[in-house]
Amino acid sequence: MLFTWFMLSGLIFLFAPQSLTSKFQFAFVRTFSWPLGIGRSITLAARKPAATELVSRREYDLLQNHLANVTQQRDQAYQQIKKLSGLSSRFPFEGAKWVLADIITGSTDESRNEFIIDRGAEDGLAKEQFVLGDNSIIGTISAVSARKAKVRLFTDPASKMAVTIAELNVSRLMQGTGDNSAKIRLLQVAHKVKTGDTVYACKKPGFLDAPMIVGKVAQCKRDDENPSVWDITVKPVCDIEMLNDVAIIVMDQRQ
Amino acid sequence: MRWFRFAALVLIATILQTSLIDIIAFSAADIKPNLLLILLVFFAVHCKSTDAIVTSFTIGLAADIISSTMGPQIISFGLFGTLLAELNCVITIRKRLYQSLAIFITGELAAALTYFLTFFKAEPVASNTYTELFWTPLYSAIIGPFLFVPAQWLMRMKTNRHWRSSR
Repeated sequence: MLFTWFMLSGLIFLFAPQSLTSKFQFAFVRTFSWPLGIGRSITLAARKPAATELVSRREYDLLQNHLANVTQQRDQAYQQIKKLSGLSSRFPFEGAKWVLADIITGSTDESRNEFIIDRGAEDGLAKEQFVLGDNSIIGTISAVSARKAKVRLFTDPASKMAVTIAELNVSRLMQGTGDNSAKIRLLQVAHKVKTGDTVYACKKPGFLDAPMIVGKVAQCKRDDENPSVWDITVKPVCDIEMLNDVAIIVMDQRQ
Repeated sequence: MRWFRFAALVLIATILQTSLIDIIAFSAADIKPNLLLILLVFFAVHCKSTDAIVTSFTIGLAADIISSTMGPQIISFGLFGTLLAELNCVITIRKRLYQSLAIFITGELAAALTYFLTFFKAEPVASNTYTELFWTPLYSAIIGPFLFVPAQWLMRMKTNRHWRSSR
């Protein structure tokens, strides 16, 4: 009898909407945020490599990502001025709020790649907002509670993000693979793509004003099933596992 | 059964599983042991059947809270934990080798059912299933019996032989 009741409870949890059951997960993180945070700090400290470079890799990546973003914004602004000279134009991210958040706990295994952060709806966060780590986009907000939020990384198997590669004027969907990378498929081999090309998230009205760097092409080969399209592997441009904090772009919805 | 100690042990294991367990993970393939699976088998082979049902489903709930989807692990841990407890009434799992084997088989079966239920719920499943289905149970099976000793001490539990004779 006891077994039947527990089994029934399990089935209720299984078929209950994710928005409802995620409240249990947020409650756990909220209650035990202190030991979880300590545990994560210890793990990061244990994994941190010895600094032997003159400039740390993280700082180098941060500046490279910033440069890529600014260059892309400059090029876009240049194109706008060229086409629409005489008309007023708003600068990208004007009026946007950047909410800084600490990572409480994270999971980057095969089945899910996500963080739980210490900012929520009360700080202006909402689903689908873009999240930055070291000046590059690392994912989007997937669930929000009052003071906590879940970030789905673009490497998560459930993540789908519209992206464009380097100078190509075409956008394609990028889907996570779960092993710290993502795949872009359905891009014809007629387009020139090479390893090391920068991948940008496409702008999304109300969420992202200008394209921003997501990652770099780590591998580019013809698709095994359909040789007329590329099978592109994208790797993040920052060490996501070593991040301590992130920034969320909260656009001013009135604009 | 000391339920307060059980709750504390499950809580500690859940927190460790979410954070510090990464330290002992094989970083290349991200293979890490499942502390909650080890606890599941520990309580299934050391408790009475009724207690084992409660502990199995509770540990399943804890496993679900730290995963992406709620539901699959309550069912799989609850089901296989209960079956193992029933099996333990017939065949006593006393030797470390058999305990390892019990962890490995329970881990594999629970992972397979979790995978199926997650897929059934139309949620994203692990792209590399070998890790979940084989390497995690194997790693847990290797270290599991050694963790039984401090767990037995903490729960003030006797060995199987004494417990069975007292029952």
